[in-house]
Amino acid sequence: MKVTFKSWNAVAFWRWDMPADDVCGICRNPYESTCSKCKYPGDDCPLLVGDCNHSFHMHCIFSWLRQESSQEKCPMCRQRMSFNGLPRCLIQEV
Amino acid sequence: MHEHTAPGLELVKADDFKEWLVDIRVLDPNPLYQNETYRLKFTFSQQYPIEAPEVVFVRDDTHPIPWHPHVYSNGIICLDLLDRAGWTPIHNVESVCVSLQSMLTSNTKKERPEGDEHFVKYNKQRPKDINFVFHDNQV
Repeated sequence: MKVTFKSWNAVAFWRWDMPADDVCGICRNPYESTCSKCKYPGDDCPLLVGDCNHSFHMHCIFSWLRQESSQEKCPMCRQRMSFNGLPRCLIQEV
Repeated sequence: MHEHTAPGLELVKADDFKEWLVDIRVLDPNPLYQNETYRLKFTFSQQYPIEAPEVVFVRDDTHPIPWHPHVYSNGIICLDLLDRAGWTPIHNVESVCVSLQSMLTSNTKKERPEGDEHFVKYNKQRPKDINFVFHDNQV
């Protein structure tokens, strides 16, 4: 018997490459979840990793950095906050 | 602040995200605070935790205002981490309470802040609008 694939859809999910039980220090929601204002996790509510290695939901850290009193410092270590990008993702096939 | 609160803390009221009441006790044998329980009132703004909560001691028949050179007799607390400049959003109700426990336990003076009587009589500002000067690194 010969099987011919006419089309196929790959299905996989991904998550941030972060310890699973870790929470954002600002909103206290898991990194896997969203900030307190968003509905959908993932690309819509990404994480940011600071050069100091502290990470937060992007929306959480931005609302802090917009405050004058933050002096643009990391809430954890009070070093000047700059970012080296998003955390790595883990992709898993189903 | 969830099921397991730090020792000496008791969540009294937390029905909403506007106002919470927490009872705190000083656990070390500091004679100024023995056998007393103090009641803290947390008031949260929409911006919490980006903005600090307002935290004051409240007095009633069973809860006095603790003696401390940075605690006014009306319950207003002068502590840098509760001020705009000292707050960071990683603080929470529990960490604020623990800081206050530690502020009390390390104190040996049965005193009120300078100008307490005048301040308590005339102050109409909300605690967060008062410009405290944090001059004292001793207590």
